Amino acid sequence: MITAMVFHLSHFQAMTLFALLISIAFGFLSRRRTSERVKYIIWSLFLFLLIGVGIGWAMYPFSR
Amino acid sequence: MPDETTTDAAVVATTPQHSAATPAHPQRSEALAFAIGVAGWLVPGLGHALQKMWGRALGCFLTVGALVFLGVGMRGNLFSSEGGDAFGMLGYVADLGTGSFYFAARALETKGSDVAHAEGDYGTRFLAAAGVLNLLAALHAYEAARGRKA
Repeated sequence: MITAMVFHLSHFQAMTLFALLISIAFGFLSRRRTSERVKYIIWSLFLFLLIGVGIGWAMYPFSR
Repeated sequence: MPDETTTDAAVVATTPQHSAATPAHPQRSEALAFAIGVAGWLVPGLGHALQKMWGRALGCFLTVGALVFLGVGMRGNLFSSEGGDAFGMLGYVADLGTGSFYFAARALETKGSDVAHAEGDYGTRFLAAAGVLNLLAALHAYEAARGRKA
């Protein structure tokens, strides 16, 4: 019997987790050397978060 | 995580991708590359593992697995073939991109989806992203097997 598991994540937590996992996958697929991968993952994660928060701020005036 | 520069170089020398360049057995190597791509789709990371790209194999397996696990845990919607409209079919294709993980997700999501809340909606995106990411990884494995730069 598989017990049901439910995660309760905030918007920011979900976005951060999503950005982290996608960045890791892209880093591993597109770079070979470990140092290049780490740099790529950090840079990609930073841009994901920056653009995500930026779009959130841009949409704020239209949210109500 | 190990540096894959040497590993990939060794694979380049041993896998039939170079025979694709030579006219000896181009159809056979193309079929093998296709089989590697399909293997990568069925089990995330397997296409790279078969080519001894261990880092990429592990990276694909863990990231796709984590996205599916989180998507199911957030009660995202897993589309089925009886979706009806075009968006439902698109969602089904994206979800099916995770290969065998699609069926694992179906087994894990015992409570069903709940897209009435933001979490469930996020979960749906996680599941679709996992599928599309795995399709990208499988395509990458296929291209690597064909001898393209990877």
